[in-house]
Amino acid sequence: MNAKLESIIAEAKRNWQSEQNSGRIRIRVTRDTSSLARGADETIAKLQGAIDSKKLTADLGVTGSWGFCWMEPCVTVRSAAGTHTILYGNVTPDRAGEFIEAIAAGRDFPELAIGVVEGNATADIPLLSDHPFMKGQVRRLMANIGTTDPESIEHYLAHDGYAGFGKALEMDAEAIVKEMLDSGLGGRAGAGFPTGRKWDFLRTATASPRYLVCNADEGDPGAWVNRVLLEGDPHLIVEGLLIASLATHADEAYIYIRYEYPIAFARMQKAVEQAREKGLVGKNILGSGKDFEIVVFFGAGAYVCGAETGLMSSIDGYRGMPRIKPPFPAQAGLWNKPTNVNNVESYANAPMIMRNGAQWWSSVSDAKEKGTKMFTFSGSVNWAGCVEVPFGPSIGTVVDQWCGGMREGRVLKGFQPGGPLSGVCAANRNLTLTLDPYRELGLFLGGGGIVFFDQFTCVLDMCKFFLAFCEDESCARCTTCRGGTQRAVEIMRRIQAGGGRDSDFTNLQTLVTTMVWSNCFHGQFAMTTIKTALKAFPDEWQEHIVEKKCRAGVCEALESGLQPVRRVEPEEALALAGS
Amino acid sequence: MTVEPGVEELRELVAEFQPNRGHVMPALHKVQEKYGFIPRPAFEVIARQLNSTPALIFGAATFYSDYRLHAPPETEIAWCCGPACRVLGGQRVLDAIQDELGIGFDEHTEGDRLGLHVGQCNGTCHEAPQVWVNGKVRGNLTPESARELVRELKAAGE
Ligand SMILES: Cc1cc2nc3c(=O)[nH]c(=O)nc-3n(C[C@H](O)[C@H](O)[C@H](O)COP(=O)(O)O)c2cc1C
Ligand code: FES
Repeated sequence: MNAKLESIIAEAKRNWQSEQNSGRIRIRVTRDTSSLARGADETIAKLQGAIDSKKLTADLGVTGSWGFCWMEPCVTVRSAAGTHTILYGNVTPDRAGEFIEAIAAGRDFPELAIGVVEGNATADIPLLSDHPFMKGQVRRLMANIGTTDPESIEHYLAHDGYAGFGKALEMDAEAIVKEMLDSGLGGRAGAGFPTGRKWDFLRTATASPRYLVCNADEGDPGAWVNRVLLEGDPHLIVEGLLIASLATHADEAYIYIRYEYPIAFARMQKAVEQAREKGLVGKNILGSGKDFEIVVFFGAGAYVCGAETGLMSSIDGYRGMPRIKPPFPAQAGLWNKPTNVNNVESYANAPMIMRNGAQWWSSVSDAKEKGTKMFTFSGSVNWAGCVEVPFGPSIGTVVDQWCGGMREGRVLKGFQPGGPLSGVCAANRNLTLTLDPYRELGLFLGGGGIVFFDQFTCVLDMCKFFLAFCEDESCARCTTCRGGTQRAVEIMRRIQAGGGRDSDFTNLQTLVTTMVWSNCFHGQFAMTTIKTALKAFPDEWQEHIVEKKCRAGVCEALESGLQPVRRVEPEEALALAGS
Repeated sequence: MTVEPGVEELRELVAEFQPNRGHVMPALHKVQEKYGFIPRPAFEVIARQLNSTPALIFGAATFYSDYRLHAPPETEIAWCCGPACRVLGGQRVLDAIQDELGIGFDEHTEGDRLGLHVGQCNGTCHEAPQVWVNGKVRGNLTPESARELVRELKAAGE
């Protein structure tokens, strides 16, 4: 490996080791958007206050999110001897006092314990790996998160950070692309297009300069997997981009972060600066003669800027309107130069593939889709958190195991697999987290945000909501999309107000068949929610339009028919949704 | 009333930005960060700095929901329109807030004290249904607790 890189990694490891052996209690609090929403900063202030006043030989630090988002702030406490580490949850400011009392007295605090991270289980506290939320998870992308300080390049280096880049430095571009292709990594934004093939398009492009774009626009409401990475381990993304730059001969990268993620923006900026200080970004990287720049770019609130061509016109300073492809970004992207666009999670896998090899990387599951994928779950379930799992588990497992079941009194009625363009599905516990079953149903398993709903959710109200979202976020270039989404919202509002007509089925069908003519996926797939909901929940449309009833009791102008959802057998649901 | 900044001051603020380098949004962000919104003269100043036209800069700015053309209220309530919030009763929370405030989206109460804005999900869905009060999450709302919150905010300014 590059001698300079080898020495900075070795030094970081030594520092990490001596930190570990400091003989001090180590307290680490998650500090990300989710934990700040639940009072992390006040918790941190209280813990620090108590450490100072009690003169505890302890140091306090921060980490990214373990994924137990509904139990933030999470805190790990590592014993002075380093033999015993426990993860606690719900260490909210009002509990911080009694919590630190116990720690200061040398006791555990079982009441808030989630599990033992290091050492043996105790009588009161089981191992973290036995927690239902952790079972079945394989944490690779999230391996550092919870352990390292996201604002420390030293911590990242100490965990073999940038070693994947070190390997890539010794390979030629073609060999890196081959390794990526062999791994079978598919684009994590949802389409699953092989990342290695995209990289090869850019590698073989002829013009220069050439650009990389890291799509951190994560616009699907209910998805925050990219945020967990950006806030929790930003150097993983820098390293991914560095590897991609070697594979594609790229000169500069733009990381486009949505406006709703200010902490992610600040951490990515800091990470890039730290990498620059170490000689990993900028001119003549590590003495290799290679130059590479990274710009961290802040969006301003526009869903279509997640679409790659919209994103590029946004960086360019124009309205963020997607355009017709071809030309594809690899032919004419940023400033009409060859460009490669990938999702955050796609780039973040590159360091894993380089460090451990394609074989290791792809061996984790039997599914056709290789590697692990991060998902966030929310809605009518008990736990709203973030997991990393191999592709393939069933929705039943997701709900029972990783979501802690449905909230009290709520029955699973259906779910949205991946954002406003992805459609809705009837409750089917057998569907797996893989791409094909959704495609077959006319849906998409998108970027990782799955939202569950129950009998109190009106399917038509959901359709109205998602169409209104698509209307608001339409770039307005295509008549089919601009006018079509408006028309769909009008029709939905009228139905919900009691003015449904038989002809509405045809009206909606017309929109389904014409909006697909829009230029970009936004317009093409805006009607997916209605299209799939018509198939999956035919009775509910009939009730609203013909009988003027809303079984969920949401549409106030209609007769409320709150009644138990019909139990749909899995095979039947599949047939319904697929017919 | 807010006083519009002078052209000189704006020029200095955006002096670092260059044409054709993807600097339109960073320049707009910098102006908004300073004034809380993009004052009218800024469009002309940025256009000149970036070798562009005010129409193009204005067109770009108004494409996004988070560039503001008017001074923000003292306290902004951003209501999450996301799906998890909706599934858990967000619409009724909004109805209660609007009823209590007597204003619609992007309107302000008397003296620009309180304002209402549509917020997008940022992945704190575990607090659903929620609003952000000047960026800080107030979650697990019911129509009643949302009314209570609005009354509290109204009282705080009196
Ligand atoms: C309306 C719309 C919104 C999108 N939003 C995102 C997004 O937020 N993040 C993302 O990575 N891709 C998004 N995409 C997909 C991108 O266009 C692009 O395909 C993706 O970034 C490619 O990454 P991958 O190959 O690594 O999966 C969106 C597409 C459309 C049409
Ligand atoms: S849906 Fe409101 S925070 Fe996610």
